[in-house]
Amino acid sequence: MLSLSSHDMQAVWLSLKVAAAATLLTAPVGFGVAYFLAFVRVPGKSLLEGLVNLPLVLPPVVVGYLLLLFFGQSGCMGPLLKAFDLRVVFTMAGAVIASAVVGFPLLVRAIRIGMENIDLHYIQASRTLGAGRLDTLLTIILPLSFRAVLAGMTLMFARSLGEFGATIILAGNIPGVTQTIPLAIYDYTNTPGGDSMALTLCLVSIFFSFAVLLASDAASRSFRARSAR
Amino acid sequence: MKNKMVILLPLIGLCLLFVLPARAEEVRISIAASLKDAVNEITAAFVKSNPGFSIVPNFGSSGSLAKQIVQGAPADLFISANPDWIEYLVKEGKISQDTVRIFTHNILVFVGPKTTEISSLADLARLQRIAIGSPKSVPAGQYAEQAMQAAGIYVELAASNKLVMAKDVREALLYADRREVEGAFVYRTDALLAQNSTILYSVPAGMHDRVSYLLGLTREGEQKKAARDFDAFLAGPEALRILEKYGFDIGGDTTGNK
Repeated sequence: MLSLSSHDMQAVWLSLKVAAAATLLTAPVGFGVAYFLAFVRVPGKSLLEGLVNLPLVLPPVVVGYLLLLFFGQSGCMGPLLKAFDLRVVFTMAGAVIASAVVGFPLLVRAIRIGMENIDLHYIQASRTLGAGRLDTLLTIILPLSFRAVLAGMTLMFARSLGEFGATIILAGNIPGVTQTIPLAIYDYTNTPGGDSMALTLCLVSIFFSFAVLLASDAASRSFRARSAR
Repeated sequence: MKNKMVILLPLIGLCLLFVLPARAEEVRISIAASLKDAVNEITAAFVKSNPGFSIVPNFGSSGSLAKQIVQGAPADLFISANPDWIEYLVKEGKISQDTVRIFTHNILVFVGPKTTEISSLADLARLQRIAIGSPKSVPAGQYAEQAMQAAGIYVELAASNKLVMAKDVREALLYADRREVEGAFVYRTDALLAQNSTILYSVPAGMHDRVSYLLGLTREGEQKKAARDFDAFLAGPEALRILEKYGFDIGGDTTGNK
């Protein structure tokens, strides 16, 4: 019962690739947006905040559909993408974008909380001692919020592993290209007699989620131990 | 204890209010996605001549519908686009063999935008992206796979990740209509409803098993007079007229000869 076909192994490998790509590519962006929301004072900041949090409250299928309208052949970006011979719909890039958009609010939220917990005195001291904004950002804010960044990335990675609605709409169900673990499980649940394979993939999914959480926990603790010295 | 009962009893009463009694004249049907428009019209005609009856339709890919019925979903009548799923349900004891009959037939075609040029199945190997229903649960996808295997191109197409799996035949059609793929394998009846796509190629009959829709009554449906009445209506002249209107292949016998 607990055997994975080569198709399933493809789905697992693809899931890991998509989740890793989405997390690593959006981490810098998420960090920047979190910094902006935490420290920069401009009017209308709540509008940006609402926009960033939108994918969190929208049903993933809606997010996927809006992305499809945006990136599709007849969508806003359609002609531009076509001019450069780029495709988003039904490609792995589409799967990465879907995961990235859906996980972004989680990333920003976690990092922002970490940043807001930094004692302002450290930042003020750094600035009065002559450090520029970038210097302060890299040497004070980044290390102090690192555990929050790690937590955010973990959340994002785990969310990407489980992302289904937006992925199936934007990236479609293409074995080997966009069929991640949730899509493969969905396929099996629709197949009479596919229960044992669906369950096997579920176990794999649970295993990976656990592994990610444990790894992140260990990294977080080791970082705390080092910075306490 | 008294306080809890004061809250609990009205809540239970409220729940009981929302339980809809199963009306004897309500027939629940699970129908293959490709039959959607035709069956909706047949249902409307049935209800018009039999007021007091109500039909509750559930459309989807035949495989997922069969799965639902096995898991206990309420259904009185099931129409599948692939005989395998009916046999599966008979084996599971959900459908009685004596109620099973052939409902109608269909023809597999390849649709797409006019810019795609196909003169034979072998030409499909040149395309970048083709949508088919997932062969694991969508009969249209299974027939398409059979045809492509017969043409010797399936393994190559699958290996080069050119096949987009749709959850049912209507979704495959949608992908073609939206131009996200260069073409899709759908039934002729779906192609006639397409907005932006035309039939590029009609798959020759010999390349796959004849597309046969099989109908069966479940154990519950057998007991219901309303379900049996609807079954009889589905075999009648009015239903056949509607099926023909939508382009279904109603003629011919079961051996695949027209």
